[in-house]
Amino acid sequence: MPKVKKKRVGFAVDMTPLVDVTFLLLTFFMFTAKFKNEADAEQKFVIHRPEAAADTSKLPDKDLATVKIAIDTTTHDTAYFYSIVDEVQRQKVYQNMQFSQEQSQKAMVKVDLPTLDKMIQQTRAAAWKTQYAIDCDKGIRYKYVEDLIDILRKNNATAFNFVTEKRQ
Amino acid sequence: MAGGGGGMEVPQRVKRGSKAHKRKKKHRIGFRLDMTPLVDVAFLLLTFFMYTTSLITPQIMKMNVPKDNTEVKQNEKDMYTIAISGDGKVYTHMAQDDPSEVALTALRAQAVENNMIRRNKLITVFQASPEAPYGSVVKVLDILNQAEGDIVQKLHQDNPDEKRNRKFAFIKMTPEDEAKLKGLQK
Repeated sequence: MPKVKKKRVGFAVDMTPLVDVTFLLLTFFMFTAKFKNEADAEQKFVIHRPEAAADTSKLPDKDLATVKIAIDTTTHDTAYFYSIVDEVQRQKVYQNMQFSQEQSQKAMVKVDLPTLDKMIQQTRAAAWKTQYAIDCDKGIRYKYVEDLIDILRKNNATAFNFVTEKRQ
Repeated sequence: MAGGGGGMEVPQRVKRGSKAHKRKKKHRIGFRLDMTPLVDVAFLLLTFFMYTTSLITPQIMKMNVPKDNTEVKQNEKDMYTIAISGDGKVYTHMAQDDPSEVALTALRAQAVENNMIRRNKLITVFQASPEAPYGSVVKVLDILNQAEGDIVQKLHQDNPDEKRNRKFAFIKMTPEDEAKLKGLQK
């Protein structure tokens, strides 16, 4: 004999544990969320970073100047992009470089080697504490990196960082 | 749901304090609040944060190079040269020997071995062809960094008093060096 099903009118599920867990996850993600900085937001190219063994060293979020080497999406040539994280330092360097109003609005500028040399020199003068990071696509030829290292050495920035990605 | 649908029942409030009798309170039995909009918004925010956070943050590889104008004379006997050719292959040689190709998987063991022979005197010289992809340069540097751990450990095993003194140099690859590597490939 088939079971007689109880008719359930207005059935309610206890959602309390669900809400608890949801809020827990929500707070977790809210606290861990790290938003893109200005320079990353302006970036119009993708950098496939080289992979390295897992390390605990993280990229600092202040007193940092990053040189990105990537293929420009509009002109299709390999170019250097320079960005200083700190707004005050950046404006100081831009001012000393006599950049136009329009150029000064950007957090990241596309530069050629002589300009980059001058900018790093200015950055060294304006903020000696600044650390340098080289963020380069793994497909880029080494000569571009070598030229950059030469410039850094010339300006006595002998300690710098390669930005890598953790190997999965 | 075993035990029937009694989940949402909130126990009746117990009156607290002595002032409770002063005002006649409406009895609220099983008071419930519609949580649906709250849950909706919570889920919306949750999905937003889940999609926008990237848990993989970039890490860094610290480098230290000597100043531009420093020139150090080194004993050629102690030089362990690692060269990367234009096509990303790795060649190594000791002192003035002829370079020979090394697989990336064997490089770590070789670096450790050479360091154990010459101990702290060994200078690792690194050179990469201007045409070499940056990815393979970092890969080799990463292997050398990993080998460093083994070297420190082994040195300590042999002689606990000996401090590790890592010597590393970047040297530009000359066209002659590159031609030499190209000649090996034939």
